[in-house]
Amino acid sequence: MDAKQTEIAEKIKNILVENLRIPAEELDYEVELFGDDGIGLDSIDSLEIIAGIDQEFGVQMTGVAKENFVNITALSKYVLEHLEA
Amino acid sequence: MSEKRCVITGLGMINSIGDTVDESWENCINGVLGIKEVRSIDTSDCYAHMGAEVRPDFPVDAGEDAGVMDRVSLLMVKATREALSDSKIEINDSNADRVGVIIGSCVGGAVSIQKYFTDIKAGKGDKEDILKMGIGAIANNIAKISGAKGVVTNIGNACAASTISIEYACDLIRAGVGDAFIVGGSDSFSALAFGGFTALHALDTDPCSPYNKSKGITLGEGAGALIVESYEHAKARGAKIYCDVLGGGISSDAHHITAPRPDSEGQMNAMKWALKASALKPSDVDYINGHATGTPLNDSTEIQAMQTIFGENENTSVDSTKSMVGHCLGAAGAVEAIYTIKGLTTNTVPPTIGYSDEDLENLKEKAGKLDFTPNVKKQRNIDIAMTNNFAFGGNNASVIFSKEARDIKPLENNKVYITGVGLVTPAGNNEEAYLNAVKNGLAVSEDGTYHADITSEDYSKFGIKLNFYRKLDKLSNMQVVSGRACLENAGVTVSTENETDIGLIIGTSDGPGTDIVNFHEGLISNGLNAGSAFIFPNTVYNAAGGYFSINSGVKGANVTLTNGPQVGLQSIAYAYNLVRQGTEKMMMASGIDENTDTIQSLYDALGLLKKGDKLTPYEGDSRKMLLSEGAVTIMLESAASADARGAAKLAEVKGYGQSHESVTVGTLEGSGKALNKAIEAALKSAGIDSVDAIIGFADGNSVVDNIEKNAYAEVFGATIPPVMSVKTVIGEARAAASTLEAVHAAYILSGKLDAFQKAFDLNGGIKEVTVDTSAYRNILVTSYAAGGSYTAVVIGK
Repeated sequence: MDAKQTEIAEKIKNILVENLRIPAEELDYEVELFGDDGIGLDSIDSLEIIAGIDQEFGVQMTGVAKENFVNITALSKYVLEHLEA
Repeated sequence: MSEKRCVITGLGMINSIGDTVDESWENCINGVLGIKEVRSIDTSDCYAHMGAEVRPDFPVDAGEDAGVMDRVSLLMVKATREALSDSKIEINDSNADRVGVIIGSCVGGAVSIQKYFTDIKAGKGDKEDILKMGIGAIANNIAKISGAKGVVTNIGNACAASTISIEYACDLIRAGVGDAFIVGGSDSFSALAFGGFTALHALDTDPCSPYNKSKGITLGEGAGALIVESYEHAKARGAKIYCDVLGGGISSDAHHITAPRPDSEGQMNAMKWALKASALKPSDVDYINGHATGTPLNDSTEIQAMQTIFGENENTSVDSTKSMVGHCLGAAGAVEAIYTIKGLTTNTVPPTIGYSDEDLENLKEKAGKLDFTPNVKKQRNIDIAMTNNFAFGGNNASVIFSKEARDIKPLENNKVYITGVGLVTPAGNNEEAYLNAVKNGLAVSEDGTYHADITSEDYSKFGIKLNFYRKLDKLSNMQVVSGRACLENAGVTVSTENETDIGLIIGTSDGPGTDIVNFHEGLISNGLNAGSAFIFPNTVYNAAGGYFSINSGVKGANVTLTNGPQVGLQSIAYAYNLVRQGTEKMMMASGIDENTDTIQSLYDALGLLKKGDKLTPYEGDSRKMLLSEGAVTIMLESAASADARGAAKLAEVKGYGQSHESVTVGTLEGSGKALNKAIEAALKSAGIDSVDAIIGFADGNSVVDNIEKNAYAEVFGATIPPVMSVKTVIGEARAAASTLEAVHAAYILSGKLDAFQKAFDLNGGIKEVTVDTSAYRNILVTSYAAGGSYTAVVIGK
């Protein structure tokens, strides 16, 4: 992960902590966000993540494939690739 | 008739297709669409723009208090005035004590909340807007304009709220507590609801199409008022009777905070229990006014529920009046009950509008034998009609109306015992911590008020996982922990055997104020299209009860009341009724309120917040109080249920009294007479004429304290029993303190507290004394609400 992506990942982590009340210590960039094995986020949480990313980066993720939501790394990769120059 | 007949004698309504019942009904049966582009809020940044609004300048005479009423109250006043005049009931000195007010709402004064915090952001908020914010204000305003002085409270169960108000009024009439009730509900069009459903992507971009295209809801607004009266009272005054109210059913999904159960069990339980309480079989039901919101999940689960129960009926009509008036949230139950009653009494099923030819073809498959009344009203004989409403939190309510008098299922007359307690208070989250705090006192927190903390130990003790509790606001987390602690203390393990025998009534003075404000601040900062889908579900007053049901698995009646601190005793009275009459074997009753920066800022703006010193009741000369928080839950259980499982009985609930003397919202002066009446009614219902002690409600606010002192002097003369205080221990925790008063009484009567206790002797001044409680048999607990509502409960050994 380069510096730019790390910066994005850190901001996304912050969205998860602030908007979804997940304790920061539970979150590293690789932990699975959805499903019973990971943090256990659900569809309402995904709406919140989409809204938070739209607000923070201006990147639309509505309807985007599930694999981009797997963990913070995947989210930050998608955001990085879709940031307006 | 084995039980008292409850009849409907008056109707009043305002919504997007009419200012009156007649106008709205005429438009409804003619399929007039009340859904248009939203006017009252700017939706330009949102993906949907439809709404079913009342015209902005509807005429209403709200009397001298109109200036302190949110639009939600003004709508309710409009509907109430029509219902009162329709019923021709005169509320005067001879009957006012037996006339009550029970009003449902979902978002309450959300318009004023949005205004206040928008103003605050720009510099300064208007204090009067604070008094308009809560749902609690609505019933007080209705009591004030009508003169009702009986049971006054509000139901905060979101979209099922006003359906429940009808059922609760019937319970109270059949329990002999009142003769007539103004019930119903109101909600105004709000940024809160529009922003919330936008965030959930639950709005339809077109007018909603329930049971048909099912692409989402369209929000509406309005109010519905019904006069529910005992048949005897109605007959004695020669009233016109629309119909009988038979039985109702209230259930909880124990599934998800916003989505219905995929198996429709909760919805079916409400319908089945309504049939059972009404002594009817499914084939007796001629017409069902469905909840029918238009979301894919609601419509599919509701159709599945109706097919399962009524699918074999040859001749049952169903409709969605929301297809015309949108989803009026807390008013939906009342508006739809009125349409149901008009349908019943005129043999007319209103249409569900919006079906194209192609839709009609698709409908055939879904409908089976049920007639969904597409596009055009249907004239047919209707003897029995049912209306259903389902809410966030997984609450479901059904109620049945009948053209003719019918015998309902006989009610029981059970003795009711306290068999468990769950505490979340500033003293700690268990019995021992509270007993210690009574003995040794408790220091205020660093911010000079009292706080109740939930720790990771509490969560792990009950196996409550991070991915559950992180979603909850403070209020809900306190409720879940205190509820789980109560079940454990009562020795109850929730299983498929008993899950529907256990219910919960919650009382909260200020509701989930913090997350409501958090949500509004998000809208104000980021726009109507950027509300938090995460926070929105927490903004309904019944979220705490819903989360508790999800976490614990209890599926019985689940109702949230709101009306000032005394609502922590009103919850006991409601739960007691349900156990006594045999609706549930076990009912938990809770009082919950939170003390956060947000809540403190609102009390401070009203000049009521005190910080620092110890709370000194009866002696203060200020208006301020030491704010606190907590969740206190007690288990009320029938003697038979407790005996069958060998449960220890801590104490008995012997009776209660509730009274109201209207004063302007947010004030208390001049309402004290109602406390006398509540105490006298409680003693009478308990069958006693004196008590050994009182657990009082004084909180250092001189107005509150003086009302209490004066009432005791007037009721008990020169022999006021010793008065004890839980607020000297844990502060003004509002509804939590009220429920704790009952727990404190039970702890004294059961010997959990030491025999020698400190008390106030209020005979001729104020003396602190030590009393010997070892021979106590009966203790009175009392509480108050601004606006003039009082409840007293007798706890016996």
